[in-house]
Amino acid sequence: MTDVDPVVEAFKRDVDRTLLRENLKLTPEERVLELMALLRAAEEFQRAGVEARERS
Amino acid sequence: MTDFAGLLGALRDSGVDFIVVGGFAGTLHGSAVPTRDLDIVYARDPANIDRLVAALVPHAPYLRGAPPGLPFRWDRDTVVNGLNFTLTTRLGAIDLLGEIAGGGDYRSLLPHSERFTIFGGPCLCLGLRKLIGTKRAAGRPKDLQALADLETLLEECER
Repeated sequence: MTDVDPVVEAFKRDVDRTLLRENLKLTPEERVLELMALLRAAEEFQRAGVEARERS
Repeated sequence: MTDFAGLLGALRDSGVDFIVVGGFAGTLHGSAVPTRDLDIVYARDPANIDRLVAALVPHAPYLRGAPPGLPFRWDRDTVVNGLNFTLTTRLGAIDLLGEIAGGGDYRSLLPHSERFTIFGGPCLCLGLRKLIGTKRAAGRPKDLQALADLETLLEECER
């Protein structure tokens, strides 16, 4: 990669390298399982939010 | 939620030739950016199209985001006459791509792919460098943050 995109470079300053380093310790399958757990949690939060709005 | 294991298993069990690309490929490499769908580039030869159709038939594929009731038929002719399909299935969201910007088709991407073992079987995934190249070539504003993540990931891999 020789060409540098200034916008991408700006975003790179905010990338959390510690998360990437933790991911690199996992196997590809473990990375997918973590992704699926994250998506499940997000769906649960969304569902809880909808329920809370309906109650109020 | 997309059942990534189920989708990969369905494709693999039917013998579909495909390469994982997009956000899920980033996840396999270690990206921290979550994705909700599975993007694959599939081989466009007639036998593989038949296998792809057969793989998804049991999972009721339909055009993602389209209103219900459209006369969409998931069959060989549909795939032959189209190229890229953005679908929802009972297993979740899947994008079927005949080719991608900056990468071309299945055959062109093969030399840039890596074999992962995941959920009990092999899975071809676009290599990180080529994945970055395709994201750059796509030039979509929404990819810029993911691109920053992937380029940082590459730096971390090469440390």
